[in-house]
Amino acid sequence: MNENETRLKIQALVDGELTGREAEELRARLESDGGLRALHARLTAVRGLMAGAELPRTLPESGDFHWSQISQAIGHGEREARRLAKPALGANWLLRWVMPLAGVACLVLVLSLQQTTMPDLNILLSGDHELEFTADEIDVMTFNTGDDAMSIVWLDYSIDLQQDSLQLWLD
Amino acid sequence: MSIPRNNPPMNRFKVLVALLLLVSGGFVAAQADSITVQARLIHGTSKEQKGKMEVPAAIKKKLARVFKWMHYCQLNSRQLNITDATTKTTKLSKTTSIEVTNRKNDKIAVSLYSNGKMLVQKTQTLRPGSYMVLAGNTGTDSAWFIVLSKSK
Repeated sequence: MNENETRLKIQALVDGELTGREAEELRARLESDGGLRALHARLTAVRGLMAGAELPRTLPESGDFHWSQISQAIGHGEREARRLAKPALGANWLLRWVMPLAGVACLVLVLSLQQTTMPDLNILLSGDHELEFTADEIDVMTFNTGDDAMSIVWLDYSIDLQQDSLQLWLD
Repeated sequence: MSIPRNNPPMNRFKVLVALLLLVSGGFVAAQADSITVQARLIHGTSKEQKGKMEVPAAIKKKLARVFKWMHYCQLNSRQLNITDATTKTTKLSKTTSIEVTNRKNDKIAVSLYSNGKMLVQKTQTLRPGSYMVLAGNTGTDSAWFIVLSKSK
């Protein structure tokens, strides 16, 4: 053990940081070595002097500094995520009112376009005409003449034109 | 001996109400319009069919303006007098009949039946001078027409 190490050991002994066996061995050396005993006495005296003279230092953080820093980092991350997720006031208003209104406007536009873009078949259809079919398999075409004096429903269906003989007799 | 008169003002009121109902009923009946609809079954062909009655010239002119056939003979004609909100049915051929409903304000609904099955129903305003035509092909190069018109 070199001299510097021995001094550090004595300093540790003065500070009460040595374990039992090490402390015993060093005390045994102190009894036999006058120089080491003098160093121990001097360090003990200095420690005694400094005991009441040191300025009290309080840590800015709690003793559990490490976990505190981690907790702070997590909290900061969450706040940052919330800040990014939360839209600005203007954007919030936009989402709440303008977007639904724009959707409704688009719907109205599409519906109105569908009504106005009917194919022009060059056939007149009056507004008060209603047509109802019961036989789905029959193809039907309906149109009015240009002067609107005749409305025609053309059925892809052949009817029997034969007259009822009884009715003819009655007529 | 005198006839007992129980509550005479009440009796007068009842008579008055009855009179009012009678008068208003007659007024309503007088207001109920009836229409006369002429229904014609017509056969349109390319060739002239001798011995068969031609349709009135006005109808022929209108049909010939739209359809290719040149000759239109009338197979049957029926006149229906229909009061408001009532329906009348008439047979135009052995298997074909129409049902006409007076829906007021010149509006009529015509249902076409063939072999008891409704083929189509058309509802429209039919004014005097205008025609509602239900038509279709027959098997040969000809066509059938049911022309409905309203008398003035």
